[in-house]
Amino acid sequence: MRNDSDLQATGRWAGLRRSPQRMTGLTLVVVVAVFALVFPMTTSTGYLLSTGVVILNYALLATGWNFMGGFTGYISLGHAAYFGLGCYTTAILIDRVELSWWLALALTPVIVGLIAVPIGIAALRVRGASFVIVTIAFVLILLLVSQSWVSLTGGSTGIMIPRPFDGLTRVEHHRVFYYIFVAALVLALFVWWRIDRSRFGMGLKAVREDEDKARALGVPTFWAKLIAFVWSAVFTSLAGGLYALWFGDLDPVFQFSILMGAYMVLMALLGGVRELYGPVVGAIVVGLSIEFFKAEFGDTQFHLVATGLLLAVVVLFMPEGVIPAVRGLFTRFGPQASSIREETAEQLAARQDAVGATTPGSES
Amino acid sequence: MSSALLLQSLILGILLGGLYALLAAGLTLYFGVMRVVMIAHSAFLILAGYLAWFFTVTTGWDPLISLVITVPVFFGLGVAVQRLLMTRLKPASLTMMSVLLTFAIALVIEGMLGFTFTGVQRRIKLDYGAASIELFGAQVAVVKLVAFGLAVLALGALWLVLKKTSFGQALRATIQHKEAAELVGVDTAKVASYGFGLGLATAAVGGTALALDATIYPSLHWHWIGPLFAIIVVGGLGSIPGAAIAAMLLGITQSLLQVPLGTTWAQTVFYLALFVTLIVRPQGFFGGRLAQRF
Repeated sequence: MRNDSDLQATGRWAGLRRSPQRMTGLTLVVVVAVFALVFPMTTSTGYLLSTGVVILNYALLATGWNFMGGFTGYISLGHAAYFGLGCYTTAILIDRVELSWWLALALTPVIVGLIAVPIGIAALRVRGASFVIVTIAFVLILLLVSQSWVSLTGGSTGIMIPRPFDGLTRVEHHRVFYYIFVAALVLALFVWWRIDRSRFGMGLKAVREDEDKARALGVPTFWAKLIAFVWSAVFTSLAGGLYALWFGDLDPVFQFSILMGAYMVLMALLGGVRELYGPVVGAIVVGLSIEFFKAEFGDTQFHLVATGLLLAVVVLFMPEGVIPAVRGLFTRFGPQASSIREETAEQLAARQDAVGATTPGSES
Repeated sequence: MSSALLLQSLILGILLGGLYALLAAGLTLYFGVMRVVMIAHSAFLILAGYLAWFFTVTTGWDPLISLVITVPVFFGLGVAVQRLLMTRLKPASLTMMSVLLTFAIALVIEGMLGFTFTGVQRRIKLDYGAASIELFGAQVAVVKLVAFGLAVLALGALWLVLKKTSFGQALRATIQHKEAAELVGVDTAKVASYGFGLGLATAAVGGTALALDATIYPSLHWHWIGPLFAIIVVGGLGSIPGAAIAAMLLGITQSLLQVPLGTTWAQTVFYLALFVTLIVRPQGFFGGRLAQRF
């Protein structure tokens, strides 16, 4: 076992040294992260800050979606259901049960995660088309229920949530939530990354590639899918809870909207569902586009057309996402992998000495 | 519930079920020929409704005449969508990606409708719009009967095409087993695109029937897609008789439940049926596994 991991580690670092695009990618992530952290301090324009919060919210939602969509390949068009449930759970816990906001926010992912268990058991009995249909149906049901159950949700008049922090100006409110959203996003990315590298994640990816074969090889596919489904609901509902606290006003039409679910899919797909940062990249691109379309076309419905066209282009021309597409360009125009060694015999010997007797096979 | 009210609800349920049956038949047809989930089906439905409304407003003629134009146009559109868009998707991920692609089409249609005709609710004004006749002691609006008649005619025509023509035979063969159909000489690519055209033609008829007696607005299609999907899953994906039977049953149930529960809660019967189906019999109640038989 130990030899295996040694070998993997050597291969990894060797890969890092060899491939400039890996360094470029890492640098890009650091630059974006630093910019994202510094950006709110450089501006006190409410609109810019709130756009930042909206995009972070999208990024968290898309990353949450990617726990299911990315690992298992089960595309849910109805993840707005968990966003809406998150919003309403937080709101109801604060407004009707009168819990403090942080307790409500902490309980929200737990409650929605529990709700997701029976839903997942029902939905995961089917694959492909039927699964998508079920997820859409679930949003439509919740929309109906939240509009009709006025005593609990406030119906179409909505529900108001008091601001969690007293005495903040509007700009400060946005800024505080900006950083809370960043923290939640980092948490979601960390969990995704851990799953991605784990044996469990391997099982999920096996389900994505070929579910029957994975099952034949001993992957407990049903439980694996269910756990991924619940994780997905947990992070999506966390985004919902935070959104409720930030925005402060809920309406069934916006909380349980199929369009929101479509945005999540579009973002994750555009960035690349197999990539850790794929949904985040997608959220930045799509989020900015949506804001631009809305500002440009105003009240007309043209932003729907623009979103639809964008989705069609992504599905038709780059179903693997932007990140793999760009990486493909790099590999094509960047330094070509060749069989000629770019190190001298002495360097090679020195390195092999350092590694020890177990010469990695991948290096020869 | 008094017996007169019960009878009234029952008749309305049958009339509604007929329309559902036609639309669900189209929806299940796409899935049958190509394993494609056509989310844009109900968006095309609303588009046809708008075209019927626009036709009546500009010409002053009866909206039924617009079918002469919309049915061939929608058939052509269906063939074009299949040829130009669906065939570009990779076969391995066709079902999932087709969902997204048709979702995109639905968004574009909804957006264009909102852009062109604004979000204002539209309704066709007809001379016979308010008229109603007595049927077995229940008052039934004439427009509902016309819509039902239209749906039954279209379903009958669809049935004839599928059962009595060689094209229909080829289409059923494609639904049953694509590779086997190819082996006996069926051009399945062509059949699939015509199948798509037929599906969209049902949306044209359904949309006109809908516009006769309902108020239409661009985002209305979301209210239709859920029930229609529930129907085809309950009936068994790809099975046309299954879709028709499930449509009738659920349409009648919805109509009967409307009296004690109100319209909103009555709609949940579709989703309830959907979830029960998934738990008890995920392949659907009538069709058998993926339309093994027609």
